[in-house]
Amino acid sequence: MQSPSFQLRIVPALQEQPAFCVGDVVRVLSRSPVGHYRVPQYLRGHIGRIDAVLDPSAVDNEEEGYGRNAGSKRHYYRISFPMLDVWPHYAGEPQDNLLIEVFETWLEKV
Amino acid sequence: MEHSSDHAPHAHDHDEIAIAGHAGYYEIMETAVRELLVDRGLFGADEIRHQIEVLDSRTPALGAAVVARAWLDPAFRSRLLANGRAACEELGVTFYDDTQLIVLENTATVHNLIVCTLCSCYPRPLLGLPPDWYKLKPYRARAVIEPRAVLAEFGTVIADDVEIRVSDSTAMVRYLVLPRRPDGTDSYSEQQLAALVTRDSMIGVIPVLLKNGVQAP
Amino acid sequence: MSSVLVSRLPNDIGGDPAGRVEQVDHVLEPWEKRCHALADVLDFHKIINTEEKRRGVEALGSEMIGKLSYYERWIVAFANILFQKGILTPAQLAFKMAEVEKRWTCASPP
Repeated sequence: MQSPSFQLRIVPALQEQPAFCVGDVVRVLSRSPVGHYRVPQYLRGHIGRIDAVLDPSAVDNEEEGYGRNAGSKRHYYRISFPMLDVWPHYAGEPQDNLLIEVFETWLEKV
Repeated sequence: MEHSSDHAPHAHDHDEIAIAGHAGYYEIMETAVRELLVDRGLFGADEIRHQIEVLDSRTPALGAAVVARAWLDPAFRSRLLANGRAACEELGVTFYDDTQLIVLENTATVHNLIVCTLCSCYPRPLLGLPPDWYKLKPYRARAVIEPRAVLAEFGTVIADDVEIRVSDSTAMVRYLVLPRRPDGTDSYSEQQLAALVTRDSMIGVIPVLLKNGVQAP
Repeated sequence: MSSVLVSRLPNDIGGDPAGRVEQVDHVLEPWEKRCHALADVLDFHKIINTEEKRRGVEALGSEMIGKLSYYERWIVAFANILFQKGILTPAQLAFKMAEVEKRWTCASPP
């Protein structure tokens, strides 16, 4: 679909667009929530690369678990981590990777 | 933090709940919860019965049909890899929940393995219910940290120069491994190909084998 | 340190030491299948969504998680969540369970 030839001024809503792109290097934050979380401990603080941006944005599952059937909507990202970076004594091969989906509020750009 | 491994339930002999005194505490609880909620009009008893039929209709044969079609039809394969759920829906597999499907293709250089360390996320609309081992601690704890050792326990040896990609499912995406098509199947019909594809090959713990046990390279 | 009990969920086991993968499976008992169907129907109606179920199972705590089977955990989690939401009370469930048990105990053998 071709963009119109005239200029359109469109302002996206806050957090409507993904904060990160495929290829971005990101760090998983190290916070320790009380209660429901979906980012395993083994990944906290680790650095990976965005493999895919999952569309459309969706409800924060950590909020969803508390039953409002609602919550902040942002993007989830499929992120790739080298196994050697995740596990200090990884016994497999250096090219092995771990991939996982993470909600946007758990990530910061490196 | 260690906690005792969850156990697979012991087999019961009965099918009918009317057998005196054999219904367990949890079965009574399930029945009571269901009847109370139906009485309150939150849903109909028929909805539970219907969903049981839905569940019974979802088996690995559906996933196998998707894999076989992908092996035979390159355009379908491309669509499947671009949007797994939409491609499955083309073949009539409806997704009754809000999950997406990402299909991960195994190649000469990449082998995919699926796990849910936090619970038991699994592409149920496509494959049916997961096996107990997928939901128990040993697989969930070890697949992410020592995938090659776990694969070896299934009899699967992945070459040193092949990349293993372990996908830990945590959100709304579910995963299907698209296994490699075995050599020697050029003359196979779609049905014959589908018959080769096992549930475990779509989780990624074993490759697809010919019936005589020859492993795909 | 006790805070580990709070900050690490009992289901967060990725990377933990564990034994051999025993390739066990079992055919679902009828009540287990009904329990799974119940979970799906509750999610369809957003009475208890799937993420709430996960959070409810986590909230059972390590001991129950270790000692109850998969669907046993689900049904107890559902009961707790229904109480929290004011849909059922513990007394209502208890009375109903007693009624169900009596109904079955008094049923004539097939």
